[in-house]
Amino acid sequence: MSQFSYAQIDKTVLDTLRPPSLVYWLIIFLLSLGVMTGAACWAYQTAVGIGAGGQNIPVAWGTYLINFVFWVGIAHSGTLISAILHLFRAGWRNPIARAAETMTVFAVCIAGLFPFIHLGRVWMVYYMLPYPNQRLLWPNFQSPLVFDVIAISTYLIVSILFWYTGLLPDLATVRDTAVGWRKRIFTILSMGWTGSHEQWRHYTRGYLFFAALATPLVISVHSVVSWDFALGIVPGWHSTLFAPYFVAGAIHSGLAMVLTLMIPMRKIFRFEAFINRDVLENIAKTIVFTGLIVGYAYMLEYFLAWYSHNVVEQEAFRWRAVGEYRMEFWVMVVCNTLIPLLFFVKRIRRSVPWLFGISVLINIGMWYERFVIIIGGVAHGFMPHAWGLYAPTGIELGILLGSFCLFFLLFLLFAKHLPSMSMTELKETLGNGGGHGR
Amino acid sequence: MTGPGATHRANAKRRSLIIVASVLVIVGLVSFLIQLSGSHPERAWQAYLINFLLWSAIAQGGLLFSAVMHITKARWSQPLQGLSESFAAFFPISFVLFLLLFLGSDYIFPWVDHDLHGKETWLNLPFLFSRDVTGLLVLYGLGLGYLYYALRLRREQIQPKGRIRSLLLEQWSKDQKDAAWCRSRMSLFSVLYIAAYALVLTLIAFDLVMSMEPHWFSTLFGPYHFVKAFYVGLGALIILASFFRLSQGEKSGLSVSHFHDLGKLFFAFCLLWADFFYCQLLVMWYGNISEEMRYVIQRTMIQPWNTLAWTVFVLCFIIPFVILLGQKVKTKPIVMAVLCSAVLVGIWLEHLLLLGPALNHDVTSVPLGFGDGLISLGFLGLMTIAVAGFLNLFPQAALVEAKGVNG
Amino acid sequence: MADRSYVFGLFRDGNQAAAAIKALRDAPWNIDRVHSPFPHHGIFEALRVKKSRVGYFTLAGGVFGFFAGLALSIFTAVQWNLIVSGKPIVALIPFFIVGFECTILFSVLGNIVGFLTQARLPDFRGLKVYDPRCSEDRFGVVASCAKGEQEGLKAFFRERGGEVLLFDSSPVTADDGNAPHV
Repeated sequence: MSQFSYAQIDKTVLDTLRPPSLVYWLIIFLLSLGVMTGAACWAYQTAVGIGAGGQNIPVAWGTYLINFVFWVGIAHSGTLISAILHLFRAGWRNPIARAAETMTVFAVCIAGLFPFIHLGRVWMVYYMLPYPNQRLLWPNFQSPLVFDVIAISTYLIVSILFWYTGLLPDLATVRDTAVGWRKRIFTILSMGWTGSHEQWRHYTRGYLFFAALATPLVISVHSVVSWDFALGIVPGWHSTLFAPYFVAGAIHSGLAMVLTLMIPMRKIFRFEAFINRDVLENIAKTIVFTGLIVGYAYMLEYFLAWYSHNVVEQEAFRWRAVGEYRMEFWVMVVCNTLIPLLFFVKRIRRSVPWLFGISVLINIGMWYERFVIIIGGVAHGFMPHAWGLYAPTGIELGILLGSFCLFFLLFLLFAKHLPSMSMTELKETLGNGGGHGR
Repeated sequence: MTGPGATHRANAKRRSLIIVASVLVIVGLVSFLIQLSGSHPERAWQAYLINFLLWSAIAQGGLLFSAVMHITKARWSQPLQGLSESFAAFFPISFVLFLLLFLGSDYIFPWVDHDLHGKETWLNLPFLFSRDVTGLLVLYGLGLGYLYYALRLRREQIQPKGRIRSLLLEQWSKDQKDAAWCRSRMSLFSVLYIAAYALVLTLIAFDLVMSMEPHWFSTLFGPYHFVKAFYVGLGALIILASFFRLSQGEKSGLSVSHFHDLGKLFFAFCLLWADFFYCQLLVMWYGNISEEMRYVIQRTMIQPWNTLAWTVFVLCFIIPFVILLGQKVKTKPIVMAVLCSAVLVGIWLEHLLLLGPALNHDVTSVPLGFGDGLISLGFLGLMTIAVAGFLNLFPQAALVEAKGVNG
Repeated sequence: MADRSYVFGLFRDGNQAAAAIKALRDAPWNIDRVHSPFPHHGIFEALRVKKSRVGYFTLAGGVFGFFAGLALSIFTAVQWNLIVSGKPIVALIPFFIVGFECTILFSVLGNIVGFLTQARLPDFRGLKVYDPRCSEDRFGVVASCAKGEQEGLKAFFRERGGEVLLFDSSPVTADDGNAPHV
């Protein structure tokens, strides 16, 4: 870090904004095809009805809910990195904070799509909004699904504003080097930022409050998501542990996604000097920590199911490990808790290929965790005659593919058009030895 | 230290503190014995259990601060870490106190000699005590191991006086290891200590608190207990740091920013404690399953316990939350010490709230008396002796800033 | 304003700029503003800036949001008094979540409003007398002096290692009360 000058930081980041190559547009094209596939599947489902998916009695919540929880989870680590680590003054977060925040914004957007997709008649979604309609009906504010509406939309608004606030000084930097129409666009986007001491004085304070508010928000959002399940009395769902366990799991998956995105990005954009192995190693260490929490939660759930001597509870957990979905269960256990333990070995957590491979496995494991919880809970409830199985249909898989393509597409568009590392914070680390306002 | 006179005065002060603490211990012990021989021996054991849980949690959570700061390579916390480590001196006492608990097992475990419908495999006295003793041995062993290497890293600041110090220094000088080696040992022990902290405190919470109502369970109860332990540990650390700051001023090496950061951490754990409390309440309130809600209703919604529940909530959450929203207040040692003491009292009452209804049936008022306070003072004395004794042995190691403790 | 000239001293090093600001306090000229690519500690100490008042907006937003969230959920619940799954009509335990989320939402909105109004953004006038290098690696100290005294001020900046630019007017009036007191 310290071998750089302020100008070199700018140059490294601004170089990424030069006109992209043909390969870039080719990838964009392929991803767009994936998004189209997802959109077509959704259009088909809207035309023929929600039966195009595999949800049925008793499993009425299928991959759409899994994806919803998965993407909200991915979003969480962005806020963790930008807000919580900012409050803890962990300087290693600075080079990755911007990309992680961007990931948050896009992941929340995609997560927010899934409740829409899950609706048979999506145009009725405005029923969820609290406004006096012609019959003076209101949403039931005791319902966890309404909590979701409030929490996710708050999270979306807050993460966009937080992201944009962080971006503001960097937009001014882009403006000051751009020419022509790009200069005009960035002039408007940067709102006349000149970096005068008056602006900084309010900016640093405001940014600190942002971080302080985003931290409880991020915890509450995934708690609310967990309560979609935990507030029911379904065996395997009704557990007081769910909220903190979901938050830890969300951060676990999100950090893995950060690694999955950062490792190719630092290579393509030549960010290796900033996003160096120490940064990656720190992410890996945090993943070990979250992985241990998740493993502890799995263990605790099993122990208390046994301790409770509640037959239904015990059967739910027995079936989870040896029943029809045992493959998913063991993928979850191995990928989320056992494989991250490899990061205890220093050589592995400093080796880029290992980091990348393990991060992908954790992503898969976390997707399956949601599968095990959501599907497994309702598939094997109180009454044996109401047990049933679920498998996603091609339409659902198409939408799943579409969501991943959309995420990577948005991220690629961002990386080439906006500064993907915070120049301001890097300079600040260099000049002051800390993040904003430190 | 400025001169022999000052050192002498400081030592005299510490000695008188230890004398006062010893008097407290004797008062506590006597009132415990009086209550034990009276008509309500179970009340004596109840107070004993509450105090054991609270003061052990303070010691466990107090040391956790240093371990966490070490493993996250924190740079701001160094003068506080020595203080945090001094709480580990209570570990041996806590262990003995746990062994003594066995004598009162007939009074404190309501499920003894009850039909538990199959839960006997887990809830039986020999198994309970053997697993908890093992757990505490592991936890305290790892904690003391961490302390050992932390002291070894700062060996230059330890004066070769007295038997223990000379013995340690002699051993260390025989086998010269550099600072990096000590740090890597500290890292190893801090990881293990943190893991053991989570697991063993979960076990303690299940066995000594949750099992009091053998048919009630909550998966978050273990995490709730260890978050609470860190909350009180931080509170006690702030009290100790305030004591040093107020008595030694600038010389203590504790600056305004230390108190500010520690206050923020305390605030964060205040919120987390309340969050974990709320997470349990909400899930049970929605589920409304009789075997779960009974526990909650009895403690928070009907007399006499609901008054106590509100007291706990106000003392441990409302008051600290409102006060700590302000920024300046966190930097005032005296205010923080008073606030943290209030929280510690609140958590004492919270233990009473959790245990009381299971141990006292059909009461019309909260079973809380003068004797409980005296017994608690005895435990306060024990903690004071442990911490002050440790700081007497290693006065320099505690406060003098050792650069690069965390690497 | 017309009788004053504005001199822009550009520094490569933040500490140099901070030293120049300290020296300006004893000089007969006034500091107008300081541009920097990031909030430099030394400069902020030299300017002795006061703490921003953005926090009051944040707090006000939060308090409003909490009660607004509670009020919304209670108001809607008592419209029809429908009992759902045996829960009380006005149930504060779940409504707390609504209150909490609204607290965060409105605190953040208050924070943004506070930041924009206090920092006076968006405002493009400042760009007319600004050097683009200030967002890259230069620290620009803008000082004003009476017409005719520019030479002294220029020499002052040059002496301290700065590069000098000259403007005739200031785009942002310095008399908004928040300007540093020299």
